[in-house]
Amino acid sequence: MDGSSARLLALPPAVVADRSPDAVADARDYFDPDGVWVLATERAPRAHATVRSATGGAGTEMPVVHTPLARDDDPRHDRLGSGDGVDVVSVGDSAALPEVGRQLRDGAIGVVPDTTTFVVCPVAVEVDATQLVATLPAAAALATLASTAPGQVVVLSDLLPADYDHEWTLEAPDGDTVAVRIHGLGATEGYGSRDVACLTLSPSGAVGTERVGADRFGLRALEGVGPRTADRLREAGVRSREDVRRTPLRGLTDVTGVGRDTAERATRHAEVLDSGEPLRLSTSALPGEPAAAPPLCLDIETDGLSPTVIWQVGVYDPAADEHHAFTEREDPDDPGRVIEAFLTWLLAEHPDRDLVTWNGNRFDYRHLTSFVERHCPEYAAEWDAYWKHDLYDWAVRQDNALLPGRTNKLDHVARKLGYAGAETGLDGAATAAAYGRFMRTGEPLDWDRHEAYCEDDCRALWHVYEALREADRRDGVAAERERTTDSEQAGLGDF
Amino acid sequence: MADENALPLTGRELLETFPRYADLDEHVSVRELEPREARTVPADEVLRPALAANYPYDPFIHQARALDALERGENVCVATSTSSGKTDVYALQVARNVLDARARDAESTAYVVYPMKALAQDQQRELSALYDRLGLDIEVAVYDGDTELGETRRRIREEADVVISNFMGVNTYLHNHDVWSRFFNACDLVVVDESHTYTGVQGMHVAWILRRLKRVLDYYGSDPSFVCSSATIGNPGEHSEALLGEPVTVVDEDGSPRGRRDLVLWNPPPTERRDDGTAADRDGDEDGAADESFERQPASVEAPRVFSHLTYHDVRTLMFAPSRKLAELSVGRAREHRREYPRYYTASEPSAIEPYHAGQGKRKRHTTEQSLKSGALDGVAATSALELGINVGEIDATLLMGYPGQRQSFWQRIGRAGRDAADALSVLVADYATLDQYIIDNPAYLLEGDVEDAVVDTTNDRVFAQHLLCAADEVAIDETDAGEGPDDAFADRDRLERAVEMWRRAGKLTGHLETGVSYVGPPRPQTDVNLYATDDEQYQVRVTEDTPAEQEPDLEPLARERAFRDYHEGAVRVHGDQQYEVVEVEHGREGGSSQPFVRLQPVDVDYYTRTRSEVTVLDAESEESREVNGFRVHFGTGSVLVHHAEYDRVRISDNERIGTPIPTELPPLTMDTQLCWVEVPEQVERGLVERYADYRVPDLPPEQQSPHLGYMGGLHAAEHGMIGAAPLELMLDPGDLGGLSTLVLDGHLAETERAGSADEGGATSAAGDGDDPGSVEAVRTALEARQREGHLERSASGWFVYDGVEGGLGFSRAVYESFEALARRTRERIDACTCGRTEGCPACVMDENCGNDNRPLHREAAVDVLDHLLGDADERALAPGETDERRPPLFYS
Repeated sequence: MDGSSARLLALPPAVVADRSPDAVADARDYFDPDGVWVLATERAPRAHATVRSATGGAGTEMPVVHTPLARDDDPRHDRLGSGDGVDVVSVGDSAALPEVGRQLRDGAIGVVPDTTTFVVCPVAVEVDATQLVATLPAAAALATLASTAPGQVVVLSDLLPADYDHEWTLEAPDGDTVAVRIHGLGATEGYGSRDVACLTLSPSGAVGTERVGADRFGLRALEGVGPRTADRLREAGVRSREDVRRTPLRGLTDVTGVGRDTAERATRHAEVLDSGEPLRLSTSALPGEPAAAPPLCLDIETDGLSPTVIWQVGVYDPAADEHHAFTEREDPDDPGRVIEAFLTWLLAEHPDRDLVTWNGNRFDYRHLTSFVERHCPEYAAEWDAYWKHDLYDWAVRQDNALLPGRTNKLDHVARKLGYAGAETGLDGAATAAAYGRFMRTGEPLDWDRHEAYCEDDCRALWHVYEALREADRRDGVAAERERTTDSEQAGLGDF
Repeated sequence: MADENALPLTGRELLETFPRYADLDEHVSVRELEPREARTVPADEVLRPALAANYPYDPFIHQARALDALERGENVCVATSTSSGKTDVYALQVARNVLDARARDAESTAYVVYPMKALAQDQQRELSALYDRLGLDIEVAVYDGDTELGETRRRIREEADVVISNFMGVNTYLHNHDVWSRFFNACDLVVVDESHTYTGVQGMHVAWILRRLKRVLDYYGSDPSFVCSSATIGNPGEHSEALLGEPVTVVDEDGSPRGRRDLVLWNPPPTERRDDGTAADRDGDEDGAADESFERQPASVEAPRVFSHLTYHDVRTLMFAPSRKLAELSVGRAREHRREYPRYYTASEPSAIEPYHAGQGKRKRHTTEQSLKSGALDGVAATSALELGINVGEIDATLLMGYPGQRQSFWQRIGRAGRDAADALSVLVADYATLDQYIIDNPAYLLEGDVEDAVVDTTNDRVFAQHLLCAADEVAIDETDAGEGPDDAFADRDRLERAVEMWRRAGKLTGHLETGVSYVGPPRPQTDVNLYATDDEQYQVRVTEDTPAEQEPDLEPLARERAFRDYHEGAVRVHGDQQYEVVEVEHGREGGSSQPFVRLQPVDVDYYTRTRSEVTVLDAESEESREVNGFRVHFGTGSVLVHHAEYDRVRISDNERIGTPIPTELPPLTMDTQLCWVEVPEQVERGLVERYADYRVPDLPPEQQSPHLGYMGGLHAAEHGMIGAAPLELMLDPGDLGGLSTLVLDGHLAETERAGSADEGGATSAAGDGDDPGSVEAVRTALEARQREGHLERSASGWFVYDGVEGGLGFSRAVYESFEALARRTRERIDACTCGRTEGCPACVMDENCGNDNRPLHREAAVDVLDHLLGDADERALAPGETDERRPPLFYS
């Protein structure tokens, strides 16, 4: 990472309207941003006020920006973050973009030289499916901004989702073409959740995005607590996770709709979230246990969510502390090579080991099995014979454990459990995109870096597995550890 | 033929025994249609010994031909009448495939798709029974929204040989096709049942779902044959090929037997114009026609009388009514009829008659079906819910309350009576409406053997773009999906590239064709596919908080055009048996951040509402054109500006307007769509303007009259008439089309198309400034300005017919292609109308949604224009005009 960077938390007013100030404060604590932008999708004074009061505090001058409430049309300039900082200019209407360009050129807005300026503005992409064309209604204004501003400019749009990142080639007023990069700030939709985003902006122009489900904050972050229960708890004076932990069970079950089960789960989860210690909820053995040897930790990389090739298979063996990577570096049109290399190694070296993944049932195993059937059908029966475990499925879907961490993404969970990763700076989308480029253009990847990324995931998986193995159980009895005082206590209790 | 096949009452006997008018046979005609013998082929010539031995029949020739074609690996469309054994064609093909596969120690599966869930259960039973009889262990299972989640579904996917579903299911299950891998891997046959029902918007979606299914099957290495099972339509080959994107062998020579059929065409006699409340529908049906000059009893009143009479004579009768409410009401009216004629209907016990419609519970419907089959019921008054395949046993007679709008549908319903070789009686009680009266006057139209063409069109890019997202989610899109023509691969290369680029810029797709394009938008794009809409900007239907659950209407989200036209604030709509008023409309916001919806509240009022729509066409561009007797007919695309500006409240009891028109406060809608138009040659226009120059529009102030209004009335009437007559040729609803007649076509054409474009210099669009015209009124004003400047001098006059849905449906294309035939039907209808009025009536040229209050309309002028178009104009020379006045820039929708 180069130099300073700044974190910008983007909150859609509709999401804020739906949550309590406590939840917003929780989000602020979690993301630790340098500024909060309440998006300009509508004029929302109450949402703005909620965020200000939830993020204000003695001594903090963290900007909370909501352009629809600005008193005039002047562009607003904030410098965020530590060190030299990152420049962010905000306007409420794309018609103001040419003015931003002029002010940057004339120095009326003073920015750090030779760095990227981020411009927050509501910019939409208009899709006309009858003509099969997608356009930017604000194209002219954007082009003027990009050609007038002296340095590099990246536009962050309130109206596009946070996973939107596209470089447009537009016609500048002087007839030349100019490139404008647009990145989104808005909520994104996952399977059954809406995610809010916190962007990490760097002076070089890089934008990292962290997305967390909107209901992973405040009371709703707790297992078993939905919007209605959260409202009722708040009405009863239980407003934060801290309150949940402090309130005796009786106090919680007194609230309508909160039964003993819900109260227990919520309290436990609050403890897990705050302590960072996982908790096992059942006596079920970890997947792959008991066994003579630990399971092999597996992770795959593909060229997208509907893959045409699995270009890397990473396998970490905890018993020998060894990692093997099977990578397709030459011929992406032959997806069978990696599969075959992986399977021959696996069958020869580890015929009797189990496999474990994170969400393999939905992704890794699903695609591996599909590719094995297509490209190495001679090994299909042997592949089928392996026990394939999914730690995520065991913990989250089957309710066998509570994990610290706001999301159930492997890197978040591992980090919360103290895993120090390799910091390759990559994520799933970036590796897929890089490989896609390689497939099209032959531009080679930094293979070591990508293999390190995959190895990191495998080791993180093992770290989580071990942490769960050591974790306490709900009934307070440690899963594996021998408590030396046990026998004495039991003796006393006999009388 | 044994006596059991003879009718308790023949057509003639019905006429002779019906109480009341002595002059009944002035209004009712009876035709006897000859019986038809079965034509079969010995089973062992068609089927292998293992199957022939246990198959209980000798196949009909059409079944044999279809099976032969399938044996050769061809796709087949079997287009024969109802109950001609189409199911057995694919049932036997499945058996063949399974036997072949098992001999190789492999599997063979089949995917069978029905339009309705109710049919699916019936067919599962029928297929299972057949396989039992053939001694084959073939598992047939239904898999749809009602199938239990979890283990049940998993077992079907992993073990069933035949899976029955519907297209919404097929669409949704493609998302995680890997759990279907075993089934898709072994799939050798895909069956599209009742394929003729897939037209218009629904047809477009089904065509794309089938293309996506083929891609996924190909991914699993399967290349199945397709069977389309269809009712008789005018173009089975063209239609099924458009649906499948593959060549299809058509088998339409029907070998099934048919008993003698009496066809009775019953035109209710005229009534005197007395206020006895029977001259109009009481039920708020919106096609109330009551014109003041004279009336006939509506079919909704007359048909239940015939129903009552037939059932009295032990004729087991199935009556088809156009709405649920009428189905229910008919039962009561039938009973009333007997009370009116006690000296005739002397038997005291009433007949057992029941209504049947989709609003009833499943159990009630099932009971009615069973009772009809067992003979416990004497008659059933049903909606179209009983038109398709459900087995209802031996019916003696079918009775139609009004013409169902399509010959195709007419024969389908008629065909429900008299299974196999039994005699049947069919009665059509006509309504006082365009098509019904046309048929009474031209019965040859029904009997000439031709039926309407079904239209399905894959050129709508909106729908294509939506399905492209789904396809990318299923299997990455790549070079193999880019074809050289419309049915090569998934889509034409150019179209595919443009759509991929568009979605890439919008952030929904990522990647490149060379290496694979994946979907990256919100999960499960398949759930956004609505078989009945072309737009994803749909309005949800909600109710007010105090509406009880049982009164909630079960409505799909509405397309924007429909929401604007029928569900504006203040609109009163009937759904099921309940009236609703629209109390709130939310249009959603810029950037799509909120969901549009309409909010309904149940009400009970004495009126319904009718929207007035103002329309204009802009920037039409011609893609194809041809000459017809000096007229030029064009097909192309353009923008339609529709303004549903006002609405009327209409009293249900007498169809009279209440009060003055109420503004809807809606903005105009612009829609890009397909259209066709016709240019009238100059000398015809001049001659006709002259001929009708003295016509004065009734109730119009003198200063607004002009010598052009007679001719204009002719164009306007021809346009209305053509849309009204379109169902005579094509399988569509007139509501799917819109039209515009104009004295200055140039006002509506794109700059390059205009006749007078050389005169125009700087002027651009009709609104005069290149920007979005704010309203129809603004367009009119701009046109007047251009007219004053002399820019419209050389423009021709004429009229447009356009598809009423964004992106088009293929209907106006079909109108373009059958323009002459349609013009002839229109001319016949207008000329023959017995209303005798220059201004016409709802049965010939009036349109209830006319934004100009059905003025000006001139029947004679319309017939004149059409005669010239058809080359039939009489030899009277068209005198060159003395009329020197400039044409006013008038247009009417």
